[in-house]
Amino acid sequence: MLRKIAFSLLVVLLVGIFTISVFAAPEKSKLQTVLDRGYLIVGTGSVNVPWHFMDEKGELNGFDIDIARILAVGLFDDPTKVKFVEQAADARIANLLTDKVDIVIQFMTITPLRSQQVAFSIPYYTEGVGLILPASGKYKNHEEMVAAIKSGETIRVAARQDVYAEQMAQEALEGSVCEQYETHGLLYQAINSHRAEAACVDLSSILWLASSEPDKYLDSGRAFYPQLYGAAMRPDDQIWINFVNSVLLDAMTGRSFRLYNDAFAKWFGVKLPEPKIGKPEMYR
Amino acid sequence: MIYYFNFRVVQNNIGNMLNGLGLGLSIAAISLFLSIIIGLIAAFAAVSSNRSLNKLAILYTAFFRNTPLLVLIYIAYFGLPDVGIMMGKIETFVFTLSLYGGAYMTEVFRAGLRAIPKGIIEAGQAIGLTRFHIRWNIQLPIMFRYVLPSISNCLISLFKDTSLAAAITIPELTYLTRKLNVETFRILEAWITAMILYVVTCYLIAYLLRKIERKLKIEW
Repeated sequence: MLRKIAFSLLVVLLVGIFTISVFAAPEKSKLQTVLDRGYLIVGTGSVNVPWHFMDEKGELNGFDIDIARILAVGLFDDPTKVKFVEQAADARIANLLTDKVDIVIQFMTITPLRSQQVAFSIPYYTEGVGLILPASGKYKNHEEMVAAIKSGETIRVAARQDVYAEQMAQEALEGSVCEQYETHGLLYQAINSHRAEAACVDLSSILWLASSEPDKYLDSGRAFYPQLYGAAMRPDDQIWINFVNSVLLDAMTGRSFRLYNDAFAKWFGVKLPEPKIGKPEMYR
Repeated sequence: MIYYFNFRVVQNNIGNMLNGLGLGLSIAAISLFLSIIIGLIAAFAAVSSNRSLNKLAILYTAFFRNTPLLVLIYIAYFGLPDVGIMMGKIETFVFTLSLYGGAYMTEVFRAGLRAIPKGIIEAGQAIGLTRFHIRWNIQLPIMFRYVLPSISNCLISLFKDTSLAAAITIPELTYLTRKLNVETFRILEAWITAMILYVVTCYLIAYLLRKIERKLKIEW
């Protein structure tokens, strides 16, 4: 009888130890999973120049893609060790939370509401709204347009039709007439055909177009409505979040600055100043 | 899922929407007038004995009837400035809609002209009327009475087509409704109101034109 009780207790003990070892063991970090797998899986888009788009060779290209490659360098010292999963903007959070991707790098604006669902990295770009002008137009910069409005001229600003369109146009150029178009593409058509003197679009698009097609588009020099872009990760893996933040910080202000700067110059036509030696850049 | 209707946003903007409706009606009326003129010229060209004029009229109707109106609007609004033709947005739309409507009118008038009994024209020739007088005093009045129902249909159709003016930021009813929709997100309330305004207006146009048709009906 005693032997039976002792045996039963031993079985219970062993089952208990097994259960604790299985369920209480620390879960493997995403960092380790990615390193073991040998490549990084990044969720991104494919239709937004200069962020993520298919180039003439049919390969994904853009600033987001370069940021993903900087992460791959940090992980494997090899920018090609990335697999991209193309996704629509509304699939960004869903694909991340269902583990279809390791990280989302898809011009994602950091907002408090989104931060309740995902963990954002430190920002890697500050987006804004600006005014793009046709190079063949009457006005060459924001100051000329302000002066024109003061002298009684009518200036039409094309904006995408939404709840803030009118407000945005006034913020861009006070006293202008806001013409609201249904799609983003029509804004460019409006300025190309001189149906509008300027258009309100993302600053990154302006920088890209003004640098890639300087004979067609000009940056008015007006920028407003700043918003931060960050990479999104699952919120329950601090090791992975810390790693991504360290790589981005290093790329923007440290040893790997050249990678970030090359990408920035390539897509926005701007060479950034070198980080200064001494006190770290972000504490100055 | 329960949807709570809130027509207050519509109530606050009904004045604007009615202005948009008025603009659409004016555009349709002007376009109809121009379409009739274009249609008459092209229809007489289509039934004339001159082969080149025939072909030209056929080419015109084939081109405009087989191209979507929105495509024509984009070409006229965004494309013409590239070749140095810059019109205001309302003028551009009226111009495009008139050419588009004119192609349909051509077919309507051509059928009307063909339906006139030959004997009537021959009677005119017999009493020594000139070709112009036969057209002006005999063919046109008879043809107009024949095709009045088709003209009514065309006016209603052109009026509904004015909703496409929203694509080039003309503040007619559809544009203002879309604006109200994106500003308030009262999707059903905004679009249901626009729909009612369109239906009632079209019904009234049809009713008035039916009355005119009855008054001008030819009794043989």
